[in-house]
Amino acid sequence: MLPLILQAAASGVVTGCVYALIALSLVIVYKSTDVINFAGGEIVMIGGYFGMLALLSLELPYVTIFLFSAAATFALGAAFDRVVLNTVLGRASPGQSILVAMVIATVGLSYVLKGSVRVVPYTEEVRRLPPLFTGEPIFLGPVILQRQDIAIVVIAVLIMLALWAFFAFTLAGKALRATSQNPRAAALVGIPVRRMRMTVWGIASALAAVAGILLAPKLLMTPDMGVIVILAFAAAIIGGFASLPGCILGGIVLGVIQNLVGLLISSKAISVAPFLVIMLILVLRPQGLFGGPVVAKKV
Amino acid sequence: MYGSPSLARLAPLLALLVLGAVLPPLVPQYFLYLGNLLMMYAVLALGLDLLLGWAGQFAFAHIAFFGVGVYATVLLQTKLGLPYVVAMPAAALLAGAIGLIIAIPATRLRAVYLALATFAFAEGAQWVFNSWDTMTGGADGIRISSPSLFGYAMGSDPKAFPVMTVLLAVVIAATLYLTKSKFGRSMCAIRESEHAASASGIDVRGTKILVFAISAVYAGIAGGMYTLFNSFANPEVFGFTQIVLVLSMIVVGGLGTLPGVLIGVVLLGLMPEIMRTAMRHLLVWQELVYGVILIVAMMYMPRGIWGLLPRRRRRLARA
Repeated sequence: MLPLILQAAASGVVTGCVYALIALSLVIVYKSTDVINFAGGEIVMIGGYFGMLALLSLELPYVTIFLFSAAATFALGAAFDRVVLNTVLGRASPGQSILVAMVIATVGLSYVLKGSVRVVPYTEEVRRLPPLFTGEPIFLGPVILQRQDIAIVVIAVLIMLALWAFFAFTLAGKALRATSQNPRAAALVGIPVRRMRMTVWGIASALAAVAGILLAPKLLMTPDMGVIVILAFAAAIIGGFASLPGCILGGIVLGVIQNLVGLLISSKAISVAPFLVIMLILVLRPQGLFGGPVVAKKV
Repeated sequence: MYGSPSLARLAPLLALLVLGAVLPPLVPQYFLYLGNLLMMYAVLALGLDLLLGWAGQFAFAHIAFFGVGVYATVLLQTKLGLPYVVAMPAAALLAGAIGLIIAIPATRLRAVYLALATFAFAEGAQWVFNSWDTMTGGADGIRISSPSLFGYAMGSDPKAFPVMTVLLAVVIAATLYLTKSKFGRSMCAIRESEHAASASGIDVRGTKILVFAISAVYAGIAGGMYTLFNSFANPEVFGFTQIVLVLSMIVVGGLGTLPGVLIGVVLLGLMPEIMRTAMRHLLVWQELVYGVILIVAMMYMPRGIWGLLPRRRRRLARA
């Protein structure tokens, strides 16, 4: 039994890393704009399709499809913020809750992305990306690791480190943090708040796209694969929805929980596990397992 | 503003009842089906609007209560042999009771957390509808045998239509009384600022829990209405797309305004039907068109269609 549990936990860590990437994309958007991005899953999906387009039709080498897809979705996310969210913000009358309008706009975006993928004839046949690495699996004691899975973890960790370095050491990263902490004060010290928000949407979309390419060899590509976002929401909630390290841990915890539930309880319960996790955590510990106290915005 | 709604506002409901009695023999069945569908969506949307438009609580659980309403109405009739007139209100009350239970922990949460908790609840409920094979029929769905009302058999659109108009009229009248009352004003105060509301002596948590339960009762009634003109239900009827549709109806029409919500229900409720019948070869474009409508509506009319009407805007400016 123990080797089985270890094996399940190991593959849980792999999927958990991908959930963590998507959760990061949701959380940085939430932190800087207060918006829950319901289009997050569809950006993952479209990122995967961009990758496939680059690999199979433009015949770019595998490594560059990450850049291609990330660049394309960066532009998409930034454009959505610039064109749609800016307009929504600009038209709001004072004292009116525009949050609902912005969230509905992201729901609109999710339908637009899903709808546009569906009308392209390219997507009619169900495809799958070839694995990133092939070769003999690696044996680590009783646990068998696919090279593909190791590559996923390595890429995810590299991206998380890059993101951390960006937020910690670069001027743009610091400006972004300032903007999400207090937009008004950030504007006062000369940070271009609008451009920062656009950048956040771009980065978040690029993160989601990379997650999409990492997922694509493991799942079948369909326009509906965006439902995976619910797992990322669960991961983000485990982490407190506002903490970046928290949501990485949350992703991994969720991946492991899911696999253990599948192994120890029943495979039917896998799909309901994330919702139970979300509800339990929100009821018992709304600040997340790793978050600080919840601060309500006054006024 | 405060007190009971004026007779002038209740009068259109009489017209609705008259239409319900007169139209069925005159109009083709397909239009009656559309009318029934829109009336059901109207009840769903009015319930969600109480929660979102009036009390400002961003919750997604509504569609789960609709599901509870449908399944409970059917099961109370088939398993316990209750007549529809008992089963439907009982199902609505059951939905309300579940709403109350959910509301007690959920109302401690705000904004994003409330939205996600209720979203998770809705998905979890859908999992239950899908998995509880012995009661709900699982993914295959459940057959709805046509209920009868004092010996008057339902099940077809013309027969259900008058009953639907009565139910809708009752729900609209209830909404008018509710929003005009002290309770309605408490909801508005909570929407504008919870701190200010509690400082003026409003029981914020109690009001929120009550709105949650009332809105669940509305959804349960809509569930009972569904069983009047449909012969089949499966868990897909209670999925995420449905809650987004109802949400879009109230946001596109105009949050917190009764005429706005009804306008939204008619426009967005008819859209999929029109695309399905008149533009069948364009069906694949449905999601795209729908998404564009949502985005454009949010960009250019954040107060909804009702908020665009100039008369309305002047009154808002004076207030």
